[in-house]
Amino acid sequence: MGRLLDSLKRGFRSFDKGMREDATSLIRKQLDEEESVFALLTMGAFSGLPSPPTGVLLRILPHMSREISVMNKRSAGLDDVFSQTLGTFDID
Amino acid sequence: MTALIVLFAAAFYIFFYFTYGKALERNVVRADGARPTPAYTCRDNCDYVPANKFVLFGHHFASIAGAGPIVGPAIAVVWGWLPALLWVWFGNLFIGSIHDYLSLMASVRYDGKSIQYVSGELMGKSSKYIFEVYIYFTMILIVAAFMGTYGALASKSPEILTASVLFMVAAVVEGQLLYKTKLPFWLSSVIGVVLTIGAIVVGFVWPFIKCPNIQLLYMFQVIYIILAAALPVWFLLQPRDYLNSYILWGGIIIATTAAVFAFRGFNWPAYTSFAARVISGQPSPFWPTVPLVIACGALSGFHSIVGSGTTSKQLDNELSGLFVGYGAMFMEGMLSTIVITSIGAFGFTVFQGVADKITAAGFDLAKMQTDAAYFGQVGAEVINSTDIGIGGALGIFTKSFGQMLNVIKVPVKLGTTLGGLWASAFVLTTLDTTNRLARYAFQELVEPIKKVSKGLHAVLADRWVASIFAACLGWFLIAKGGNAYTALWAGFAGANQLLASIAMLTAATWVKKVQKVGGGMLAAVLIPTFVLWTTVFVALVWFLFVIVPVTAAALRVILGGFVILMLVLDIWLMYNFFKSWNEGKQNKA
Amino acid sequence: MKTYFFLGKGGVGKTTASAAWSVGLARSGMKTLVASIDPAHNLGDAFAADLGDRITHVADNLDAVEVNIDDMIRAYLDELSVKMKHTYSYMSAMNIDGYFDILKDSPGIEEYATMEAIKKFVALAQYDAVVFDTPPTGMTIRVLAMPRVSLLWTEQLVKMRKRILATRGMVENVQGRLEAQVDGETVVLSSDEKEDPIMQELVAYREELKTLKDMFSSDQSYVSIVTMAEDLALLETKRIIESLGKFRIRVHAIYLNKFFAMANPPDEIKGKMEEQERVVARMKAEIPGIAVKDIPLLRNSPRGIEALFTVYSKYLV
Repeated sequence: MGRLLDSLKRGFRSFDKGMREDATSLIRKQLDEEESVFALLTMGAFSGLPSPPTGVLLRILPHMSREISVMNKRSAGLDDVFSQTLGTFDID
Repeated sequence: MTALIVLFAAAFYIFFYFTYGKALERNVVRADGARPTPAYTCRDNCDYVPANKFVLFGHHFASIAGAGPIVGPAIAVVWGWLPALLWVWFGNLFIGSIHDYLSLMASVRYDGKSIQYVSGELMGKSSKYIFEVYIYFTMILIVAAFMGTYGALASKSPEILTASVLFMVAAVVEGQLLYKTKLPFWLSSVIGVVLTIGAIVVGFVWPFIKCPNIQLLYMFQVIYIILAAALPVWFLLQPRDYLNSYILWGGIIIATTAAVFAFRGFNWPAYTSFAARVISGQPSPFWPTVPLVIACGALSGFHSIVGSGTTSKQLDNELSGLFVGYGAMFMEGMLSTIVITSIGAFGFTVFQGVADKITAAGFDLAKMQTDAAYFGQVGAEVINSTDIGIGGALGIFTKSFGQMLNVIKVPVKLGTTLGGLWASAFVLTTLDTTNRLARYAFQELVEPIKKVSKGLHAVLADRWVASIFAACLGWFLIAKGGNAYTALWAGFAGANQLLASIAMLTAATWVKKVQKVGGGMLAAVLIPTFVLWTTVFVALVWFLFVIVPVTAAALRVILGGFVILMLVLDIWLMYNFFKSWNEGKQNKA
Repeated sequence: MKTYFFLGKGGVGKTTASAAWSVGLARSGMKTLVASIDPAHNLGDAFAADLGDRITHVADNLDAVEVNIDDMIRAYLDELSVKMKHTYSYMSAMNIDGYFDILKDSPGIEEYATMEAIKKFVALAQYDAVVFDTPPTGMTIRVLAMPRVSLLWTEQLVKMRKRILATRGMVENVQGRLEAQVDGETVVLSSDEKEDPIMQELVAYREELKTLKDMFSSDQSYVSIVTMAEDLALLETKRIIESLGKFRIRVHAIYLNKFFAMANPPDEIKGKMEEQERVVARMKAEIPGIAVKDIPLLRNSPRGIEALFTVYSKYLV
């Protein structure tokens, strides 16, 4: 009985987690994109974009590691971006 | 009979899951529980994150199950319920599920890259632009076909129209509750589900939104698509997607229960004729045209995109792949089975309800029931006739579904509204996402124009222009094509199968060259690949010579051009496949 | 606090003017700091004292300092480098040291450091007035313009960051706190503006910039131009006033240094003197509302407090 209750609880927890993910999958992608754009705008000097005044940059640079890693990940995936985008928005 | 079919299907899928499926896992994929998956090796806790296999199954299934597995079988039943069912069982078993499973696992071995990427790795990179062109046209066809099916349904059913409009409002409210308030998740979910049920009940009790004019409905859909695709995802798309999964699971559970307890014989002909008039009222030979009608449910190329784009990054263990990739496809087969079962058992009950109108339209209802060949000739016409007002393929499904739910004491109209919301919620979601994607694909496509004219490029790449263009092109196809959604549906399904061919050829190459599988198991992948390729090729040729000439003049050029493009791509694919096959080039996974 | 900037190209006597001015202020009883932010320092020469990076007491009520901008940049980058190496240690693929060498030469870094120096001195509460001996004109204008330009960017970035945090908040509402793996460590990603370090930096920086911007354009800030009575100088002065005007910075006075005054000038000098007269006349006519004063060509460069005070009381006020 106890074990049944336990596995029910686990099952419910998985269901809850799954539903929570279901409710945010696209927003998380959007968040990723926004963070990547933020990094690109501030770190854009690397790719030839006009960069913001050095002062701003120097101030936020030490905290940008996550954003840069998001941007790196995004750019690493650029060779496959079309299909990935199609996969994000599921059709049929 | 209904119970028998559903239980048999379940037994069929479970049996083959443990025999054929396990054999694929063992001998073709050689899944190794000890080999870390991309969810671990590339873990970033965002895209790449290991997920519980049941949770992942849920995500994957919710992604692959849309309106497709409902619409296709509902069109195909004009051949009779048996051929449709057989294709949903065996097409699924021998092609569809292998396709889904292999594209998932190949992607897992390539760090979660998409199957199109893997295809570039294995079969040459020249595909990118053509793939995009082709995806773009597919999107347009989806927009047109889905607008057509929804228009046919909603113009004849104010209940469903009202419910689906209210459901959108419910989704917007749900979005506010979920993301903008501090309400606990369970509470906003409960409210969302209650609102969804409310939308169905209001549609049933008080169908205050009516629009019998189908052209007007198309126009509303165009406006809806353009506006919806311009909204931030959290506003409508995401919360609706979320509520859709409740509708999906709720619908499946209710429908299965009803089917099991219906104990009803099938009054629909089991088999009408080999060349029943299915697509555009033309005699459509079951082979090769069945894949142009039933796509999802038996085989869908879009599954490879979902499987290799998202699911492969979250697979916690290679041994979970079979359950997630293969199992979810079987689950979709079950869904299509239920759709066919409800039409098979209750389709004629629906016809009897509108017997006078059928007679008035000049059809012989009694003969339809006794003379299967006659039904094969007129069935599609009856279902799609606006005078009779069944509401097309989705109409026959939702009305039969309502009848079936009546077995478990749900009022017919309420059941119909539930079935209608189920189908239309997915159709409307697909229209929204497709327009977003078409917009993006269009911007990619017009990239070369930049070299010719910067000004023109700037206009074309504008997202409003791209969005309006895609929606209006779809609108043009369906409205000027004389509401011939079956032809557009066939075009979309054909494109979908071609996408599946790309994935299957890639998978076959992977199986042979990387996995070094030989003998019978290689044949298990190669034979369906070639059967699929040949079938789709012949079907497209048939489509070009039989269907394209009878479509409205406005459509002929676009549809014909697109089919020719698909054929060229099909040959070109095969050429690439053989080239890489013979090169003996070694690729490491 | 009052601030005084003396602008001009190299060699026109900015240092003398600012040193003299600071002596004047100190004598009037204000607690005064005079700071050279010009990389080519000669403030020490003017005071005949050894000045350096440390604030040095030179007279009653008067302290002086010479800031080494290059050292400041170096020190700042070193500090940043340590922080960054810690934060980005996982990014071994990217050559961090190399990156910092690039930063040192990155456009705007000198202006940034100069602005930081100004900020630092302005923040010192113990002074009633700070007088700046500035680097050559172009650079100084860029420095004075910087708060306004940076503010535009910073405000945009704040806006973007707000959006990111709002999106994060939506996910957080459903999924609970977001976490990320950075360098094998689990970091909580907050959607709260107060807990997001980037937002905090941006907001803090924005406030600092606003303060500076307001200070530069307030009536507590006196900007004077030091130049010479020459035709070319007239044009240049007008240009400076115009571009400072764009940033809402008002010029307070124009000093024409090295002015020839001679009872019976020899013919060789006559032309020069006519030019002087002409320039003064045109300046007064064409640049209304700004005091134009001349400082004669002195026999010896003024050295020491007394000499500077003489210059102040005879010519500057």
